[in-house]
Amino acid sequence: MVCGHMKRVTPIRILLAFYLVSATTSVAHAQSTTPGGMPPPPGMSLAESAAMRFPQPVRVGDLLGRDVLRPVESQDVLGRVRRLVRDRNGQIMVVVDFGGLLGFGSRPIAVPVDAMVLLGQDMEIVAFTPEQLRQFPTFSPSGAADLADDTIIKVGLAKPSH
Amino acid sequence: MKSPFRPDVVPNAGILDDHKPLIRSLERRGLIRGGLSLGALVMLSGCDLDRPESVESALLAIGRFNDGVQALLFDPNKLAPTYPASMILRPPKFNAYYDVVDVKPVSGATWRLELSGLIAERRPWTLPQLQALPQTSMVIKHICVEGWSYIGGWTGVPLRAFLERIGADLRAKYVAFKTTDDYPSSIDMATALHPQTLLALKYGDDTLADPFGYPVRLRMATKLGYKNQKWITAIEVTNTYPGGYWEAKGFPWFAGI
Amino acid sequence: MKQVKAETSGKPAQSGRRLHPLPIRIMHWINAVVMLVMITSGWGIYDDDVIIRGVHFGQFWRLGDWAAWSLNWHFAGMWFFTINGLIYLVYGFASGRLREKLLPIRPAEVVQTIIDTLHFKIAHDDITVYNAVQKLLYIVVIFAGVSQVVTGVAIWKPIQFSGLVSLLGGFQTARALHFAGMAVIVGFLIVHVALALLVPKTLGAMVTGGPRLDPRGRAREGHAI
Repeated sequence: MVCGHMKRVTPIRILLAFYLVSATTSVAHAQSTTPGGMPPPPGMSLAESAAMRFPQPVRVGDLLGRDVLRPVESQDVLGRVRRLVRDRNGQIMVVVDFGGLLGFGSRPIAVPVDAMVLLGQDMEIVAFTPEQLRQFPTFSPSGAADLADDTIIKVGLAKPSH
Repeated sequence: MKSPFRPDVVPNAGILDDHKPLIRSLERRGLIRGGLSLGALVMLSGCDLDRPESVESALLAIGRFNDGVQALLFDPNKLAPTYPASMILRPPKFNAYYDVVDVKPVSGATWRLELSGLIAERRPWTLPQLQALPQTSMVIKHICVEGWSYIGGWTGVPLRAFLERIGADLRAKYVAFKTTDDYPSSIDMATALHPQTLLALKYGDDTLADPFGYPVRLRMATKLGYKNQKWITAIEVTNTYPGGYWEAKGFPWFAGI
Repeated sequence: MKQVKAETSGKPAQSGRRLHPLPIRIMHWINAVVMLVMITSGWGIYDDDVIIRGVHFGQFWRLGDWAAWSLNWHFAGMWFFTINGLIYLVYGFASGRLREKLLPIRPAEVVQTIIDTLHFKIAHDDITVYNAVQKLLYIVVIFAGVSQVVTGVAIWKPIQFSGLVSLLGGFQTARALHFAGMAVIVGFLIVHVALALLVPKTLGAMVTGGPRLDPRGRAREGHAI
């Protein structure tokens, strides 16, 4: 039950002692909490990994404008959802305004919906790192058809990351 | 009748084998690690930092005091604010002590609600029996201890009505819940009897989805999210403090909002 | 001239009260420790769901090796912070100290003091009289402290105090206000500690009590260092 122990320090019995740094090791909760938004295991397809995440129906119109986060504690904003389209292969892609600062300097990239999850009022990209996303080509609209706002699609879930 | 709250089977550690690659990548990410924290501060006189258990016990003792304060602040007649159904987040936000890939769906056909403790009727309930009881709906704000919140809509059987139906002793202190994901917890009777405490069967207009607790979850408007268990399998009415999963790890028990 | 200690000789000129009476000093140092507990445990709670996306504090800065213990520190420290703060305010009002030390503030004085500080003219010969910037900062931090208690109570019990939460603009807004109050206090702390270290006799005064004051609340003639 005990969460950790501190490095040995000289016992101090002062009313208002002040210590700047203490090291604590916390092994106790190592096996109890699994972080949210882990990438698919190596070798598994995006479709398979999305299917493991209990995909839930969501309205396309409710996804537009959502923040797209990185699955880390600091919840970095990778971009915003601009459009949802079906590409020439029939795959559902999320067009994300990626990168830039405060909305300036971003470019649209198409991320397969199976690489993403719903997280409350936001979305997360779990299957690609920011470095990988930077290599994505800029989205070109030819061959892609927007999904209507009232279309219901299924997107996987993840728990918060921290 | 043997209480479902006395475990006789220890979870099989072999399930970790399936997740070795994930666990290795957790370690790689540095997520299982020692923690360094700035500012270990002594605020109690005579506190000896060679024995941090004493600091922890002091903090937990103050936590129990806070639970008492919260119980005093709890107004059984005060309703949490409600919202229009158009504000319901669909689907809601998922959380658990594990990620969604480890959710184990429950079969509604074979599901039974086991009952024990200070009650009159001990026969297990089936899902159709529970669904036949009068239900009520509420659109309320879910607040997680982490800090995030969303507006959700739940429909279900008021726990008060259910407790009365099974002849529970409403003067008992605690109502304890057991779940299929080994996430036990318990609440105070005052909150159990609150009008916005439901055995929820539906979210929005739809049956609860698997990751959100199908077939039955606890939904309270007056407590933090982690007190609202999913996939309930047993209810016990008792005067013995039942504790809970997060409480054993140091979180507050009352957790009222 | 060496500071004269309290004497039992009965000479009235030596028996004035000190700049920082003992209760003030005790409350100050309690507050110093408790405020740091509240801030660093608060950072631990913040990290559990960041308010400013992309900004988190990291394990090194947090009190409590994970969320449960940050919460426990925070919910313990809050009692010490609030009770100590309340006693301080009651003492400050009842004794007239707050009025004597912090009022009045004239905008022209504030501007002049800022200019002086930026030119490093902070010798501060008479530490018993607060300059305009000091007065302003102390008033701001007192308000920030009160705000933290109010917004803190709101986010602790948002249903039981739903009226208060509505007044603050909703739960997430109350959270943001609580964070903003912390930022104000941390900003104050950085300035306060830096200046105390630059004028070390102020630090000494908060430990030993500082110069004795005449009935007007000013340093006695010849006792100001």
